[in-house]
Amino acid sequence: MANSNLPRRIIKETQRLLSEPAPGISASPSEENMRYFNVMILGPSQSPYEGGVFKLELFLPEEYPMAPPKVRFLTKIYHPNIDKLGRICLDILKDKWSPALQIRTVLLSIQALLSAPNPDDPLADNVAKHWKANETEAVETAKEWTRVYASGA
Amino acid sequence: MGASSSRRRRDDYYPPPPHYTSYPPPPPPPPHHHHHHHHPPPPPPHHRAPPPPPPPAASSYYYHPHPPPPHAYHGPWHPAPAPPPPLQQPQPPALTGPPPEYVEHQQAQKVKNYVNLHKDTIRLEPDGADPDRRLVAFTFDAVTDGRVTIYYFAKEGKDCSFSSVYPELQTLTKIPFQKGLAQRFIQPSGSGVDLGFFSLDELSNPSGEVYPLVVYAEAYPSPEEGGSSVNSTRAQITLAVLEKHNNDLRVKVIKQILWIDGVRYELQEIFGLVNSTEADVADADADDMGKECVICLTEPRDTAVMPCRHLCLCSECAKTLRFQSNKCPICRQPVEKLMEIKVRSPEP
Repeated sequence: MANSNLPRRIIKETQRLLSEPAPGISASPSEENMRYFNVMILGPSQSPYEGGVFKLELFLPEEYPMAPPKVRFLTKIYHPNIDKLGRICLDILKDKWSPALQIRTVLLSIQALLSAPNPDDPLADNVAKHWKANETEAVETAKEWTRVYASGA
Repeated sequence: MGASSSRRRRDDYYPPPPHYTSYPPPPPPPPHHHHHHHHPPPPPPHHRAPPPPPPPAASSYYYHPHPPPPHAYHGPWHPAPAPPPPLQQPQPPALTGPPPEYVEHQQAQKVKNYVNLHKDTIRLEPDGADPDRRLVAFTFDAVTDGRVTIYYFAKEGKDCSFSSVYPELQTLTKIPFQKGLAQRFIQPSGSGVDLGFFSLDELSNPSGEVYPLVVYAEAYPSPEEGGSSVNSTRAQITLAVLEKHNNDLRVKVIKQILWIDGVRYELQEIFGLVNSTEADVADADADDMGKECVICLTEPRDTAVMPCRHLCLCSECAKTLRFQSNKCPICRQPVEKLMEIKVRSPEP
């Protein structure tokens, strides 16, 4: 797939992401494939992920923006809505996708998900169970994982 | 961010990504992967300009099911910083029969509105001579001379005529005005009504189609101004209720109707019409997400989704969307119809 066929929307989004990055979020396209983005999200303050730097990959399928981007955490994270493969449970990445959403809004949503884990709607069952049984302890684990895996070093 | 921009913009061929053939990569039996709904982000589709609620609008572009009337709107007659104009749908005809399976893609047509009351400016002011009586005041534009009639507790009758259900309350007078933009209107002293007599309930509810306040603004274009059909009425009617606010009465407009050459239109705002009369799409790159199609981020928006009235698409993307989704990109409501609205730049 040649980058020369890149729709103008993707070019514009990319330019805007680079020129006006959202706070705590960076996304830059791969040189080999402009539909593939290397993403970094800083753990939101007041969350168990504070201080962490989380790497993600984001891919814009051929149908984008009629279909949602595919996004996955590369950094290990202890979160009830993110599984061990880094897959994210977020409605706008599935049935609630709208072509009016963009890479930026998707990443902001993921950042918000880090601030608001939702163990009632889990993707990672064990984590969610842990979260519901003993939230304090689960949060401690999440902080620990953040230190160990997302220190940004 | 590694890649330099010159490199990125190059148009040459890039091989596929080294490791991005399938996604997600090593797919083991997926843990139940049903749809979840998270609260955190009902992310603003475009966060700079959240679509509804929209700015209130003045008027000038209307969809019309019939051939356009003789004097279609061409030029700007708003005061310069005119608010975005609303569109309105025809009340009666056009949409009869069951909704079609396919999504209609219609062209909007323009109808000239001769008088426009700025609906967010309408107020009740005490009459200096008799503070118990209230005078109706507002700002309006008129392209021709005309006159205003104010009704209290009025009901709509045939052909957009109005009459008060308490005829003894007031003597109806038609207050003349001259053409001009952004004029201030205030009811003449002594012609107001003492509303203290009515209960708040009565004032704030349009009960049984009776509206506590109706402003009927009609244009009488002279032959030079407007043309041949001087006899036909061209009016904009504003229907409002009165609400208590900080110990005072505040006017809340419920709807505006246009009655032009025997056709009744209800004015409705179009969401996302950002002063499209300016040639500002070229500027869109600047940082302004307000004016381009939400799908291609490139072309100007010229197509509204109905019935939710989100003007968010260009006509090309609207065609694409039709085949791929039946939901409005902004609000996810089902799309019944797409309406193309060519907003022409003002001609000097």
